[in-house]
Amino acid sequence: MGYQAHGAGKMTGVPFHRRAETKLALRYLTALLLVVIFVFPIYWLFAISFKTPGEIFAFPPVWYPKSIQFNNYAVLFKDGDAKTVGNSLVLASVSTFFAMIFGTAAAYSLARFKTGGENLAVWIISQRMMPPVAIAFPIFLLYVWLGWVDTYIGLIILYTAFGLPYVIWMMRGYIEDIPLELEESALIDGCSRWEVLWKVVFPMARSGLFATAVFTFVFSWNDFLFALVLTRTEVITYTVQVTHYFGGQSNFWSKIAAMSVLGTIPVFITVATLQRYLVRGISMGAVKG
Amino acid sequence: MAAIVHPDRNFKYWLISPAIFLLLLIGLFPLIFSLVVSFMRVTMLETDTSFAGFVNFVQLFRDGRLWQSLAHTVLIMVVALPIELLLGLAMAYLFLDRMPGRQILVSLLMLPTIISPIVAGATWRLLLDNRYGPINQIIGWFAGHPVPALWTVNPTLVYPAIIFCEIWQWTPFMFLILLAALSNVDRSLTEAAEIDGARFWRSFRYVVLPAIFPVMSVAILIRGLDLFRIFDIIWALTTGGPGTMTETISVYTYVQGFKQFETSYTAAIAFLVIALLTVVVTWAIRRMGLAK
Amino acid sequence: MINRRDFGKIGLAAGLSATMGTPAWAASGADTAVKAAQKYKGLSITVVWEAGLQSLDPTHFSGPKWKELTGMDVKVVEVATAEMFTKIMQDYKSGAGAYDALNVIPAWMPDLAQAGALEVLDPYVQKYSYASELQTIAPTFRDNWMKVGDKIYAFPDDGDVFIMYYRRDIFGDPAVQKAFKDKTGKDLAVPKTWADFDVVGAGLTDILKSKGIYGASFFRQPPYAMYMFEERFRNEGGKFFDANTMKATINSDVGVKVFTGMRNENKFMPPGVEQFGFVENLAAFLQGQSAMTISWPPYGRWAEGYGTDQEALNWVPKTTIAGKVGYALPPGGHPELAAGFALSISSTSKNKDAAYLFIQWLNSEDVSRQRVQLPYTLRDPFRNSHYTDPGYLALWPNAKDYLAALKQASQTGLLDLSLLQTDKYEEVMRQAISKLWAGEDPKTILDAAAVQWDDITQKIGLDKQKNVYAAWAAKSGAYPKL
Repeated sequence: MGYQAHGAGKMTGVPFHRRAETKLALRYLTALLLVVIFVFPIYWLFAISFKTPGEIFAFPPVWYPKSIQFNNYAVLFKDGDAKTVGNSLVLASVSTFFAMIFGTAAAYSLARFKTGGENLAVWIISQRMMPPVAIAFPIFLLYVWLGWVDTYIGLIILYTAFGLPYVIWMMRGYIEDIPLELEESALIDGCSRWEVLWKVVFPMARSGLFATAVFTFVFSWNDFLFALVLTRTEVITYTVQVTHYFGGQSNFWSKIAAMSVLGTIPVFITVATLQRYLVRGISMGAVKG
Repeated sequence: MAAIVHPDRNFKYWLISPAIFLLLLIGLFPLIFSLVVSFMRVTMLETDTSFAGFVNFVQLFRDGRLWQSLAHTVLIMVVALPIELLLGLAMAYLFLDRMPGRQILVSLLMLPTIISPIVAGATWRLLLDNRYGPINQIIGWFAGHPVPALWTVNPTLVYPAIIFCEIWQWTPFMFLILLAALSNVDRSLTEAAEIDGARFWRSFRYVVLPAIFPVMSVAILIRGLDLFRIFDIIWALTTGGPGTMTETISVYTYVQGFKQFETSYTAAIAFLVIALLTVVVTWAIRRMGLAK
Repeated sequence: MINRRDFGKIGLAAGLSATMGTPAWAASGADTAVKAAQKYKGLSITVVWEAGLQSLDPTHFSGPKWKELTGMDVKVVEVATAEMFTKIMQDYKSGAGAYDALNVIPAWMPDLAQAGALEVLDPYVQKYSYASELQTIAPTFRDNWMKVGDKIYAFPDDGDVFIMYYRRDIFGDPAVQKAFKDKTGKDLAVPKTWADFDVVGAGLTDILKSKGIYGASFFRQPPYAMYMFEERFRNEGGKFFDANTMKATINSDVGVKVFTGMRNENKFMPPGVEQFGFVENLAAFLQGQSAMTISWPPYGRWAEGYGTDQEALNWVPKTTIAGKVGYALPPGGHPELAAGFALSISSTSKNKDAAYLFIQWLNSEDVSRQRVQLPYTLRDPFRNSHYTDPGYLALWPNAKDYLAALKQASQTGLLDLSLLQTDKYEEVMRQAISKLWAGEDPKTILDAAAVQWDDITQKIGLDKQKNVYAAWAAKSGAYPKL
């Protein structure tokens, strides 16, 4: 009913609900087209994991494999390569968890209290300016000294530290979006500062937390350089393992593809299931009154 | 009032201390190391730790290849970043309202960023292959005859190929962040603006944009910094070639530091990069009012 | 009591054995190593190995066997080819000492030796009487890949060399032969010079293109094409440097001729050949799309389907040309010993003796013979005995021709250029090749490359590099005796 007021000046003779339908159809079509474009290379990779070498290097190119056999995946589990996906999972999840906690706390400090002012904020983001290659060797030296090379703890601490600048800056932006009055009213109601964080800020920043966590995870997940330098045999990550399949005289495309699919599934599932936190929904608007 | 003021002082420091501690633990030594080593002559063959003055920094300014690589990097940034931003924003709007299967579609769109950049690069290399890849095949269908475009070899095609692959991989990043930001925008405000007769652009400019600006500007900053460090896609497609045409600062630093062990020179480059970026970032921060 | 006649008999026996390479009374290199390693039972050593297919050797075969024989645990540190040098150097420079035995590409040896990363092996060779078994490594590898200066730093362990593979069925097809003679006036034969190659390749493409077959295909990606350039340049008489002034001479007429030739040849190769890497080229050849190609020994084995039933090799495209492949030396007759691997010991290892025994055992006659015949191996024959081994000869009908070609190649092969900071020079070459495919003028490219080479030489130190170059150029495999 209220919709009729929308853009009343632009109304044509077409009934509104029909316009909404065509609009939805158009949106959907565009969405599908986008998904096709963005997912096509992933599909190609997925198809490779089932193709025979003759199909991978076929001229003209073969678009779908003749038979779907999961042998390539089975081999990865049998040979223990799949364990590296597990390693990456552990490293990325734990480091993301800590980066989110420490980083959001720091972000709150920066957002509400302007701790350290502009200089601290710039120093934090400057950590992300260092070309990785330049710090790879010094960090390797540091880790040799600390005995952290080829250990889980070493890489977890590293990825947590690497994730912090991103988390801090992103969450600061999302926190600034939250109206201050909400926190103040909670304080007046008798909440401690920690309770304000837990009960007001975290829920309000849910979508921001989600979006930030996804990419913090992805950045750790996809790191190659430091995983290469800081591991030998014990904590090989899936990114390093995949490069083992590219040789001067060999290219295990089916393993590359199967490994990549394996490496993508956990993240994909996580993103898909946590998506409901992305959109806050209309109810939140009501809180403001 | 005093009861509220006092906890503040320590509270804000407690909040920030774990982060600062970790950042110092990991970041301090490399910084000091690089600073010290950049004034020495540490190379693959000799570890000459005597003070060498500014010799590495002088070499920096004379090194044409370095400045070219910086130019290449800036070129890629200046083209890719706006496209990623606008495309990501448009996509965020597209998916903002309800749609059947939105959850799956959005998750699917995340896949390019989730794939390891190394694998993405290798996959694109195969996709773009003239003989074994589907892209030229598709182009051939539209053109009606085979089109032997050598995307990784032809000087006019290498940049479009690299930039396209980069945009493909990282637009979903902007998309998701902006989707989160847009969905935080108070609906009642936008609805009020519409009722007042505001058209989409006015509503966007005066209601939406200010609301998402804090998050959007950080996303731009982060993406910009990451674009500056772009490496994997270029290494997989062209290794900086033809010649050094697509060599970015990361590729150049990688070769210098990783392959040829010019430790001191790489450290000097690192400092140049940090200095340049700090200037730019500080200017950007002020401009975007991020640290008010 | 030993009288003069006994002495004579012993002497005769010794003399006979000496001509066969091993004193009759001495244990083989493998046995010596195993015996001496008993005291290291329970010890764990690490070995750096190329990741992927190569690593299957130590993880599936030699590692477990060594453990069985000596109780020593071998931990294989797999590293992608492109990162091997970096990891070895970083480990050395940091003093971490985490690696014991190493696989090194011979071209790296001057840098690694100069930096001090490699252990000098002469004392160990003497201690464990391995010298005579080292002598029976095929001459080109033995004389070019073992030493830096006059010290032994590594044991050649992989007979990488470029071989020309051609389709016997096409070259022997009367219809094709006639069409070729009609078209060019020459008889169809496997080319022995690059000028011949141009004629044969172009001719075959013309005749067979309708069937989807090209005269030839090569891996043209810069890292591979660089080796091919190094080979062809020297076969045509080119020299990398002027030995007196140490100025680069890659931009001589020979260099320009080679570059121009390479680019012109692409015209009769599959479109997009400039992007071909190892596997793309392999696929093209195994699927019957090219009549000639040049590559490493594995192509020969896989073209016959040897080992491709193994799971480890299930990425190799199925061969359609088994039984149809002929083997020859590349045009010019002096093939590049491209890349290759040698076994070495890290100077910062904490288990040098134990690690040495492992590599001696790996490299010995007995064990290496088994290793080069593993169906999934990438290790190519590198000992004289390998080329005539009955087991190998029986692997496929034409194996004798294959081994004969490899043996010939091992006697006339050309060594990769290796100086101080070789990678810098190679990088310039790779970039030059990519510019060549991009369409720039060969002379301009090579002139610029020569200037860059001279810059690099200056930075490293002209005299220093001149000495290293002189040592390299003195090796038998540096320049062909034309």
